[in-house]
Amino acid sequence: MKIIIAGDGEVGFYLAKLLVIEFRDIILIDTQKDKLEFAEKNLGIATILGDSTSYEVLNLAGIKSANILIAVTSIESVNITTCLIGKKLGAKFTIARIDNKEYLVDKNTLDLKDLGIDVLISPESLATREVRYILKSPALKEIFNFHGKALYLMGLLIDKDATIVNKTIVDTADLIPHNSFMIVAVHRNGTTIIPKGDLKFHAGDLVYFMSTEEGKDMVIEYAGKKPIHIKNVLIIGGSRTGKSLASKLSQYYNIKLIDKDIEKCNYMAKTIPKVQIVCGDGTDIKVLEEEGLENYDAIVSVTGNSETNIFTCLIGKEYGVKKAIAMVENIGLFGYSQKMGIDTLINKKMAAANYIFRYIIKGRVLSHLYGVDAAIHEFVVKPNSRVTQMPISNLNFPQNAIISGVVRNGNGYITLGKFQLKPEDKVFVFSLPQTNSDLKAFFN
Amino acid sequence: MYSLCHKLIQTLKHSSINYSEFMIFNHHNKSDTFKMLLNQIGGLQILLGFTIIIPFLVSLLYGEYYTAIGMLFSSLFCLIIGFILRKGFQTSFEPLHRHALIIAALGWLSIAIMGGLPFLITSYITPLEVASLYGQTETNYLPSLYFFKNPLHAIFESMSGYTTTGLTMAVHEPSIGKGLLFYRSFTQYLGGAGFIILSLAVLGHSNGKIAFLLYGTESSGERLKPSIIETARSIWKIYIGITFFSFLYLTIGTHIILPDYNFSENVFNSINHAMTAQSTGGFSTLDDSIAGFQSIKMEMLYILPMVLGALSLPFYFRVINNKEINQFWKNLQTRSILIICIIGSIVLSLMLMKSGVIAEPFRIGIFQFVSALTTTGWQTSDVHLWDSPSIVFIVMTAMIVGGAAGATVGGIKIIRVLLIFKGLIWHISSYFSSENSIKVLKFNEKRLLPDEMNKELGSAATFSFIYLLFVLISTLVTYYFMGNGYTIIDALFESASAQGTVGLSCGITNPDISPVLEINYIIQMWAGRLEIIPVLVLFRTIFLGTNPKVV
Repeated sequence: MKIIIAGDGEVGFYLAKLLVIEFRDIILIDTQKDKLEFAEKNLGIATILGDSTSYEVLNLAGIKSANILIAVTSIESVNITTCLIGKKLGAKFTIARIDNKEYLVDKNTLDLKDLGIDVLISPESLATREVRYILKSPALKEIFNFHGKALYLMGLLIDKDATIVNKTIVDTADLIPHNSFMIVAVHRNGTTIIPKGDLKFHAGDLVYFMSTEEGKDMVIEYAGKKPIHIKNVLIIGGSRTGKSLASKLSQYYNIKLIDKDIEKCNYMAKTIPKVQIVCGDGTDIKVLEEEGLENYDAIVSVTGNSETNIFTCLIGKEYGVKKAIAMVENIGLFGYSQKMGIDTLINKKMAAANYIFRYIIKGRVLSHLYGVDAAIHEFVVKPNSRVTQMPISNLNFPQNAIISGVVRNGNGYITLGKFQLKPEDKVFVFSLPQTNSDLKAFFN
Repeated sequence: MYSLCHKLIQTLKHSSINYSEFMIFNHHNKSDTFKMLLNQIGGLQILLGFTIIIPFLVSLLYGEYYTAIGMLFSSLFCLIIGFILRKGFQTSFEPLHRHALIIAALGWLSIAIMGGLPFLITSYITPLEVASLYGQTETNYLPSLYFFKNPLHAIFESMSGYTTTGLTMAVHEPSIGKGLLFYRSFTQYLGGAGFIILSLAVLGHSNGKIAFLLYGTESSGERLKPSIIETARSIWKIYIGITFFSFLYLTIGTHIILPDYNFSENVFNSINHAMTAQSTGGFSTLDDSIAGFQSIKMEMLYILPMVLGALSLPFYFRVINNKEINQFWKNLQTRSILIICIIGSIVLSLMLMKSGVIAEPFRIGIFQFVSALTTTGWQTSDVHLWDSPSIVFIVMTAMIVGGAAGATVGGIKIIRVLLIFKGLIWHISSYFSSENSIKVLKFNEKRLLPDEMNKELGSAATFSFIYLLFVLISTLVTYYFMGNGYTIIDALFESASAQGTVGLSCGITNPDISPVLEINYIIQMWAGRLEIIPVLVLFRTIFLGTNPKVV
């Protein structure tokens, strides 16, 4: 499969990094030589220096035989133009990153699909959606939904006063209601463990659960978290993400948005209804105090600067804000910022890359988790496969991977040992990276 | 070489933007300004001359030949003066904003003065035998026509007409003859939509910039279509359309309620009343105004045309042209007028009931409140007899407030009152937000930033303050020059009525009025129609010239 990526920004680079594991034939196009050199050295992929909207450059990249063209430069119109031209020159499938949400929502006026762009992604919308999910169930650190609302993957931090601390999974079995959720991974001291029954919980463990819709609340109860109710939300930074968040979340919460730039503030005040705009420096403690920081249930920091976001969230935590969400674009900062106590990180570029990745590896890798070296895979059980012959517990399943859920006829099931797979089941597998090839072999 | 120069000048002339820009920087002297003003006024006079031909034809139709002669002479007089000014003072001078204001102020003054001619001439040439037949009443009083022998009365009547006020010197209306009755209504009709808008719509020769400046002086300045000329034309179309609807409504309604009423009289009354309701003028063709029908049903019938007149013309444009029916409850002004009409008329009725001085408080209360709020001024009750609280209430909540901006009404206008109230709440609530908060105010479907809001609030408050100041000064003038038997409350009522171009009267306005007071009211009506500022600009120009003052 041949993939052309236009734009070697953070989305493009991260995407190439994900894809290069599966496919060798990846070509990266960008106008900056240094960036391309860096990608070439680190990922070992082909690069072309040039403008992706040029026929010559696209032809040079071999657009005629390309299976997928992904345009993820920072400029929306370049992405759209690249996809339109690319499709005409022979690309089979095109994906464009956009900013204008109209293109996503309003398909009546003009459907870009008709013009030749197969998938549109907007990193801001993806980030907004993630924040919205987190604020809905704020006790969680992360939440992903699979197959609509059939199954959820939820990450929770275990507090030191939770009842399950210093107990093994088997000890707490009576706390787990039948078939509503299961523990799929534990992240401790920078390593991820696929747990066995004798694993002991420690305070500060990040535990991942797979749960059905009904099991969601029980997971929170099991982990000893008190349900938090979010009402007031403080957003720092009027970036594109900030605007998107404010206008979307204002339907559910009282929102205050702080930004430094007066022009930007005036524009937002005029165009975003039901959001109180404040013009000031979000990192200035005086300003935050004056805005009554301690009265807020959640702080979402989405300025263009990762360090600022982390810092602001830390101040918020200091003042007793229950939930701090920081947008961190610098992937290198992930581990540290989580250690420092920021509840949730969002990274719109990773979100975008994951989203695209899911499209390409249809029905296989679903998601990569932030800061955790593990992935969720989806496999469809083939008819007459040997996995349908016996219950899961009897299968010789690869090490460091766990079958964590099945979607059958649109309904989600949690798979414990006695569960038997049937053809056409969609199986979700949580795995550490080194097991990828074993898994593929197992299901084929 | 010559042809090249000629071509260059032609291109320069045609590229109007460059040309006007060029003219602004060009130094111009006083006589140029003066020429331009006279030229513009000439244009308005020509227009006035032509419009008088319509009442001339009506006079002929009713066989009132003396009136017809009066009309004809007035028309010719206006046309001659107009053409002299127009041709004699040709100039390429481009008006600036202040000039547009001066043109509006002077133009309206000249129209009111020249518009008094038909009254004056007719009153002098009509013999008593003919005049005493007018109105077909038993002639135990002198026909009111002869009050217009006093030129000041004629100008007063004309000013009251063109500014859509409705205060009158004709004590017994029918006794001035059908021709003049029609002329009175017609002045209100033209004055309602605006003379300058009429000149833009009919002549349509000015370039965009002057047109826009002039248009802004007379109305809300809202653009309905990309070009101002087109806007002016669509305003007139809507205006005529609604009037026609009111006319049919009144004719049919009258015929149903009073089947025995003479049909030709009915049609004449309905045309006149439709025109004066749409322009919220309030001149009537009957002695005792709408009360002349002596029917409660007729009074209720007449409420709708008044309310229609008080709604803004851009609002109609949206409803009719863009088919936005939801504007009825979405449009802030329309919604507010309907709500205030209902609540205000109930409160006034209850107040009148409590005072016990009026026989039918609800009949009177509802009609008078709507008449005052819409600044129409049809009267069914002797306000002089009312108790003071009721008078103060109707003055404060109806006459001073007025109808919608963009309509033909007077008063401060409902939108400014709402803005000031909302601004007050906004101001107080802003003390509860932090210093850095950008406190936005949502007003009339728009979100206003603090700076914009302060600006809007400032201009609305300034205008309201000047307006109230005018009413206050005029109340005092009235108090010292009015006849015996009136109180300070009556003075307030009469002065608010003139300032708001309402036209309700408690009797202070009568042919025996002191000339000082009469001139005072003429100035008030003139300023009230033009929203005061153009008149103040004119005074400033007269006393201090047009040079900006540097301190």
